[in-house]
Amino acid sequence: MQLHAETLTKSYHQHEVVNIEKVTFGAKGVEGLIGPNGAGKSTLMGLLTRRIAPTSGTIKLDTDKGSTALNPLRSHEVARIGLIKTNQRIQGFDSLTIRDSLRLAATAPSDEGIGSIFGGKRDTDEIEDQVATYLEAFPFSDRNGHARSGGEKKLVDILRCLIARPRLLLMDEPTAGLPDDITRIVMDMVRAKVAAGEMRVVVVEHDLPLIWEYCDYVHFLSEGSILFEGEPDEVKSNRVVAEKYMGV
Amino acid sequence: MDYLIFSFSLMLIYIGLAQLLHIQFGLAGIPNFGVVGFWGLGLYGTGVLYVNYDVPLVPAIAIAALIAAGAAYVLARLILQKSGQAILAATLAFATIVALLVISEKQLTGGVIGLGTIGYPFGDFSERNVVYGGILIAVVAALIWVSARLRDSRLGRVLIAIRDNEELAASLGKDTAATKRMIFVVTCGLMGVLGGLSAPLHQFLVPYHLAPSLTFAVWIALVLGGKGHNFGAIIGVFLTFGLFDILIETYAPVPTEQAILLPNFKLFCYGLLLVGIIMFRPAGLLGEDGPHTRSGRDTPRPAPEPAPKES
Repeated sequence: MQLHAETLTKSYHQHEVVNIEKVTFGAKGVEGLIGPNGAGKSTLMGLLTRRIAPTSGTIKLDTDKGSTALNPLRSHEVARIGLIKTNQRIQGFDSLTIRDSLRLAATAPSDEGIGSIFGGKRDTDEIEDQVATYLEAFPFSDRNGHARSGGEKKLVDILRCLIARPRLLLMDEPTAGLPDDITRIVMDMVRAKVAAGEMRVVVVEHDLPLIWEYCDYVHFLSEGSILFEGEPDEVKSNRVVAEKYMGV
Repeated sequence: MDYLIFSFSLMLIYIGLAQLLHIQFGLAGIPNFGVVGFWGLGLYGTGVLYVNYDVPLVPAIAIAALIAAGAAYVLARLILQKSGQAILAATLAFATIVALLVISEKQLTGGVIGLGTIGYPFGDFSERNVVYGGILIAVVAALIWVSARLRDSRLGRVLIAIRDNEELAASLGKDTAATKRMIFVVTCGLMGVLGGLSAPLHQFLVPYHLAPSLTFAVWIALVLGGKGHNFGAIIGVFLTFGLFDILIETYAPVPTEQAILLPNFKLFCYGLLLVGIIMFRPAGLLGEDGPHTRSGRDTPRPAPEPAPKES
């Protein structure tokens, strides 16, 4: 699945925050989106998940079933097509345990109708197994309870997105609030899924070593436009990127 | 004795309504302040069909419940995705509109004079009120059972997720708007069924029955017992309606000259109870989660929404 944006702009009070001629996400395995503060990364992410309405331009979603315009879709429809985004700020369901939260994300909406009131078991073994696999990979303080720390909540947010079987996963600053060792397990898991052809990933991140290590392709955003795109080594050695971002 | 059976039957209706409100507000987070409106559409719909058009009671209740569900659907389309305050105000207004329509549409409803009489759905024998009470017990028990099942079902989990964070639930592919609408329409339709079942209890319908006090009584019962708990609604109704309307109003040896003060005293006590609950046990007497739920881990949770104010 790929996202194509063309002549995409977003202005707030006549001030242009995003102005992108043309960009494609999801063509390579793991893609990074980097740029200095205020470059428009978060706005671009918001536009891609339809949370922010563009001032002009179109975003198209290409799947094997054809191409759809993203903007008329509602958020659950976007998610059902397979475009899912992890949250930068901590989000969660306070009354659900970690396990229930993951079961919720793993369950197909078609199984959640009124008929489910009268069915026998709530969750199939298949779903329980999936949830257990994710839970056992991480050192939660209480696997059967609620997420306690901010880090656990952030982790549950990412796991919820992974278990929902995205085709294109947008990760908004996955390292913010997560301990290093957990970030590594998450990113290794993401890489494995990408390698298995299950999904493509776009990571927005300030942690450059992580970008260089895990990404196959990097988009450099500055002042609202894509200034440079390429493989990590090309981006690293690019003069513009070095000047604008790494302060060399 | 007949009065006691009447009171208990009415209490069952209240328990049913509180149970449905538990689903709407406790699970799905929809603050429906128009309970009496949907119940009233069922009550008067049944009455009008039965008295004016000679429709037998059971089909009359079914049609009236469909009318209540239809009204809920229109209302859901208009307001369900708005903020909590907007839903609260709109449902309250809806209930007022129903009450006003009943007063103004005299040809159909008899206006303030009233509409009657509505009989029981079976022959004339002396214990029919007991039999009818038995039917009500069965209906309300079924409601409680379904609501308990719902809480532990996949659909219930989605409702809780919507209540906690609707945007996040939608971002995981859940059609939150359609789910809320479906739950609202079904539960409001069932409130209409309970309204229709109340018609033979009241026998003679007057617009006074549609006063908002029913909505508030059900809300107070729910908040008192615990909005997130299956049995909270039942306990709440016992403590409010059961204690005051049945025990004190009927059996307490109150001198006649003071008896006139009882309804006001009742409201005073409801208010006091409510303030006490909000101050000392904001999640209700039973708290949020029962030990029977699978999510039963004891963890501190954020303060619940502010409880409704009494009018």
